[in-house]
Amino acid sequence: MPFSIVAQIAVSGALMGLVYALVAYGFQLTYATSKSINFGQGELVMVSAFVSLSLIDLGLPYWAVVPLGLLFGALLGLAVERAAVRLALEQKSEGWILLTIITGLFLFSAAENVWGRDDRPFPTPIPSAPIHLLGVDVTGLEISVAVGVLAVMGLVELFKRRTLLGKAFEAVSADRDAGELMGISATRTVMLSYALSGGVAALAGILVSPITTVGPTMASAMILKAFSVAVVAGLESGFGVVVVGLFLGALEGLASLYIGSGWREAPGLALLILALAVRPTGVFGKAVIRKV
Amino acid sequence: MLKRLLLVRGAEIALFALLAALPLWVQSSYALGLLTLLAIYGILLIGLDVTVGYLGQVNLAQAAFLGLGAYVAGIGATRFGLGIPATLLLSCGFTTLVGALLALPALRLDGPQFALATLSFTALCSTALNEMEWLTNGAQGLSITRPPLLGHLLTPRDFFWVCLALLALTWVMMRNLLSSQWGRAFEALRDSPIATDAMGVGTYRHKVAAFAFGSGLGGIAGALYAFNFQYLQPQSYVYELTVVLLLGVVLGGRKSLWGAVVGAALVALLPNLLSNPVLFRAFAVIGFAMAAIAAVRGLVRRSTRPFQALAPVVATGALVLGSFLQKNTEDWRKAIFALMLFSVVVGLPEGLMGFAAGALARLFRVAPPPLPPAASLDEVLPARATTGEPLLEVRALHRHFGGVKAVDGVDLTVRAGTIHGLIGPNGSGKSTLVNVVSGLYTPTSGELLLRGLPLPRGSLLQASRAGVARTFQNLQLFTGMTTLENVMVALRGAYRLPLPLVLAGFGRPEERRAQAEALALLALVGLEAEARTPVMDLTYGAQRFLEMARALARKPELLILDEPAAGLAHPDVVRQVEVIRRIHARGVTIVLIEHHMDVVTSLCDVVTVLDGGRVIAEGPPDQVKREPRVIAAYLGATAAEPDGPGPVAGAPAAG
Repeated sequence: MPFSIVAQIAVSGALMGLVYALVAYGFQLTYATSKSINFGQGELVMVSAFVSLSLIDLGLPYWAVVPLGLLFGALLGLAVERAAVRLALEQKSEGWILLTIITGLFLFSAAENVWGRDDRPFPTPIPSAPIHLLGVDVTGLEISVAVGVLAVMGLVELFKRRTLLGKAFEAVSADRDAGELMGISATRTVMLSYALSGGVAALAGILVSPITTVGPTMASAMILKAFSVAVVAGLESGFGVVVVGLFLGALEGLASLYIGSGWREAPGLALLILALAVRPTGVFGKAVIRKV
Repeated sequence: MLKRLLLVRGAEIALFALLAALPLWVQSSYALGLLTLLAIYGILLIGLDVTVGYLGQVNLAQAAFLGLGAYVAGIGATRFGLGIPATLLLSCGFTTLVGALLALPALRLDGPQFALATLSFTALCSTALNEMEWLTNGAQGLSITRPPLLGHLLTPRDFFWVCLALLALTWVMMRNLLSSQWGRAFEALRDSPIATDAMGVGTYRHKVAAFAFGSGLGGIAGALYAFNFQYLQPQSYVYELTVVLLLGVVLGGRKSLWGAVVGAALVALLPNLLSNPVLFRAFAVIGFAMAAIAAVRGLVRRSTRPFQALAPVVATGALVLGSFLQKNTEDWRKAIFALMLFSVVVGLPEGLMGFAAGALARLFRVAPPPLPPAASLDEVLPARATTGEPLLEVRALHRHFGGVKAVDGVDLTVRAGTIHGLIGPNGSGKSTLVNVVSGLYTPTSGELLLRGLPLPRGSLLQASRAGVARTFQNLQLFTGMTTLENVMVALRGAYRLPLPLVLAGFGRPEERRAQAEALALLALVGLEAEARTPVMDLTYGAQRFLEMARALARKPELLILDEPAAGLAHPDVVRQVEVIRRIHARGVTIVLIEHHMDVVTSLCDVVTVLDGGRVIAEGPPDQVKREPRVIAAYLGATAAEPDGPGPVAGAPAAG
């Protein structure tokens, strides 16, 4: 196997890995404020992509669809928070795991019936012709994925550090009760995190659709890998998900090259179980001291 | 007693008799297929309920175990010509083993991480079944012929009876298991893993065992599944099925064998129900009416939150609308399922059987079986001779957290038969010290000896088994159980019966003895009248006393009481001093962390004062109280006056 092909597959895989990192980042956002994640996040990615596609079908230009798609994702995130998460958090139970699975199931079925079960192409003005870079071919689409992912994660991190609202977000993440005592509404902060997470999911959908096509099952494999990335990296470190996302994406490409394409998901899944066994808080997570 | 036997056991027998008799009337092979599936899912869901209900974890791996069991049986039968009993054993053994292996990493996790690990396992299994074509035939599927059982060719009806018999067997064995110490241990580690270890029960062993049990049942169900359909495909055991199974347990009702079987019936019958529009409409309208009635009642009585009352109404309302507007309900199967589940999870968190059981219990008022008379305290807690020899020796002990030296070179000797006070201002290292001694924290350096032998380090379980018992400053009771059960979990040396005999139902005499012993300990702390009270309903003071009774169930040589009087009202404090005296009279050595100086003064033989992680004074309480360094530590003065006004006496000092 010539090295150039291996490098090519690793690079393409790593760039796809950034999409997993983006979805995993969405998990981190909600985990920070509420210690909960949306198990139906893949359906958010998929439904947002479908809605964006419908908007394009209506004749809206791509660059107008992107913000609308993000807005829709954010609204969907808020809906999930209201329907599936808030009650469980108020009762301090883990009912949100089941309820977010249920909302995901509902969205999946609804999408199947509204948009059909077939995969459809997602038109984009970004050129898909390959560019030769340092010995490997990279398409414009892949570059747009990388730029989009890193830009949005950077913006959200900037928002968290530089704005008052963002600092409120950080305060609730650090200590919910103390934040509430300082006059920050934890409920609103959790809502904000779900809206951000939904927007991030929508962006992942819009970025990846031109490459993978849009269909009800487009996110079911992706979401497993996003879980792997989030867990292996730990649910706290934004930097960690990028590193692990790149690594896992490359690993996946190489696995399908060497073991067979049916096995492409296996390394990520095995890695997840292993990572949990060795370091339950993730490679980039902090260890917790038990207190009684 | 007789009424209870009649109603509870009678209902179970009636259920199985009815199920067994049904094929005599129902001849259609379709209906028989559904009944068989019900029995198979029943076994599967009873297994799933062990992790979901008793361990309280969201387990998304049960579909994978069904698939593994099915393929093991299928391959065993087709490739190796094994019969039904052999394949059942093989499937069960294999999935139990894989379950135990998966539990090893997963047992360190809980909540979302556990759900993710099991979900990944399901995905991995389905990948493997698909790709290992040389073994499983891959996506083409594996055809199986059902082997004869003991020389008989099984008709579909015979096969149903086989499945039903296995379901009944599973039912009885699980009931025996879950009503024994094993079931209590599962629930205990759900409520407080730390206390479960500290009570010598071992979270590790039980979590692995629980998961392996559930997986093994999944394997049995899988083997039956393979012989029922006689054709296997890898894509049958994926995410969707695992979610449906999980929801079946929740829908039916967690921690209930009835719930699992009702859930199985729903899961098996649901597709059938949805394909019949009239039936579906009727169900939707009934569900909507029930949700609406419950909502109005809940809102008028203000017993439910508005969201909890209204959300099921909206969801079931959508179902009713859909059932009339949408012709093709089959396509919307998952959405319908999601709406139904949403209504149940939000509106009826205990599931259908949880709700029904509550209603039936109110209706029939079945009394729980009577408790045996309390055992004599001399049997439970034989008085020890108090020798005055060193019992616990702590030498040059350090425990650092990063740069914080919480315990910074402590030497301490606790003599057998004494009450040894441990005091000091907040942050002085008392709690860290006892956390190291009891095994919650591993010491950074230093030596711990119990009766001159090294005390196991950094393991609550090992320390507890070595004879150290403790209570917790922030209560760590098993909140889902009764007062008596809390003590029974911790009882040392009460459960010796090997697992197979427990499964076979021979655990009853042992249970009775354990109840009698636990009652004696409850009487010691004055809680014998509350034996049946759920812990949640106990007063705060009573919960503190229960912690002491539970620690005593370890029959410890050394009992560590971590601020037992914190937050107690004065009469309770007085009563507690009395109880501690009684415990001491049994020859139990006590280390007492306490802020109430009058308690310390009246009880303790020796007091050690800590400050900044070091011992600053030691001696009889009255002498220690007058030490200038102690007064300075409590008041924060740089140099105390020699004849200070004894500020630490009386009232609680320094929070």
